[in-house]
Amino acid sequence: MDISDILQDLNHDRDPFADDDYNDSRPSGQTDLQALTRAWINERGAAELLPYPKDNLIERATNRIKAQIEKVEEMTGDMDPKTNFSLIIIQTEVERWKFIIRSILRARIAKIDKHTLYYLSTPELQTRLSETEIAYATRHQQLLHGHYLSSFLGSFPQQLQNLNDTAGGISMIGGPDEEGGVFVRSLGSSEIGGEGVVVRGRGRDGDGEVEVARGEVVVARWADVKEVVEKGEMELV
Amino acid sequence: MALPLPPGLTPTEVAFLCEMEMVTVVPRQKLESLDLLAGATQPLRPPHRVPLPLWLALLLKRQRRANILPPPWLLPASLDKILKHETEISTETFSPPPPHPYAVSVLPSATDHISPPFLPSSTADSPPDYLPYHWLELGEILLDACSDDIPDPDRVRTLLRDLREVRMAKMRASTKDLEGGGISSLRGVGAMEVAEGREFMVGVMDGLRKLGASREAARREREEDEGGGAGQGDSEDEDMELE
Repeated sequence: MDISDILQDLNHDRDPFADDDYNDSRPSGQTDLQALTRAWINERGAAELLPYPKDNLIERATNRIKAQIEKVEEMTGDMDPKTNFSLIIIQTEVERWKFIIRSILRARIAKIDKHTLYYLSTPELQTRLSETEIAYATRHQQLLHGHYLSSFLGSFPQQLQNLNDTAGGISMIGGPDEEGGVFVRSLGSSEIGGEGVVVRGRGRDGDGEVEVARGEVVVARWADVKEVVEKGEMELV
Repeated sequence: MALPLPPGLTPTEVAFLCEMEMVTVVPRQKLESLDLLAGATQPLRPPHRVPLPLWLALLLKRQRRANILPPPWLLPASLDKILKHETEISTETFSPPPPHPYAVSVLPSATDHISPPFLPSSTADSPPDYLPYHWLELGEILLDACSDDIPDPDRVRTLLRDLREVRMAKMRASTKDLEGGGISSLRGVGAMEVAEGREFMVGVMDGLRKLGASREAARREREEDEGGGAGQGDSEDEDMELE
């Protein structure tokens, strides 16, 4: 399955005109770049871990990069100065894509590191992580727990050794601050012909709904806009 | 491994993002079409103008293979007009952003949800009277890399600095709106301004929220009691909550 996917990708990349064919269900490179950039900015902007990018975006981008690097390796064979400059351009672009992917994944790891137990605590939260990320988080938590046990937890009485107590109505598992302020831009309603996005903002002296016009940037609490960001009607900036 | 940065793009990341903006280039040398990851580029044939992403345009410029056409809004006359708008007409808010180049139609299309840096707001045929989202970074980068392509670069530099100062004052003043929470609009704000102001604005917001938390909770409780006791809410807010 993987091999055929990659092969299909390769064929796809060979034919630049296929990108403009809107009957083609495979996203074009430009669409992928836009989706990747948006995923990057959103992930960098939110204090909370966002769902792992949908539709194998990261895998698809990685495959594109792999194919491009192979092409560069083939082209390095004939070293005439003209192709040399084209190579520099192609490699610069590859580095830019790699930077975005790395930045997304590293931002995610930072969030997982910070609140490992929180993201592992419910099945619903676990769906936001990719398989590798779950493996990473589990292992990270195991190591940490082992370290705590051997350094101090082990000498506590049995009933005080838990790391996920909810005694006294307060959970020991801390999560990210969902009420923190964020800058968001409205992308327009996803309803057909819709223009603005209606957001319900909660304030100190009153709550109210505000329509945010397409392209407008506003400051809001993350919890108020989280839903529309996940729906793709708004993006963080 | 993990990224040791606080939430939100840093100014250098914003500059990286800005390099994805499209600019118009006048090639000085031939270059065949390149099969890039983001799609094939148009072949360069002097003296035909071609739109290219800024990072590629800068690469060509540095090797003297092309000239960059400054966007119309970066010309002294346009900046003058915008500055006048910022200081005389809308003294409290930012000047309006450029209108979205792709209107929403009845049929959903791929361009409906495109946002900067992928909108053509800095090519040679972009509107002259509006500052696009990446105005400050783009202006600085172009002044730095190709001041020989920009008419009267010193004047442009001064105007950019004036605009920046006027708008920074507005950004600071906008923190007053943050006091009661809710949604505050920053229509027309630029990317670099967001990146610079983020820490301060979010800090103010979070601080005020924590100070007002008990008041907010008390109000919520009161509204809930009233709504439950009377059976129907008498304010709009409660009506919406019931929905």
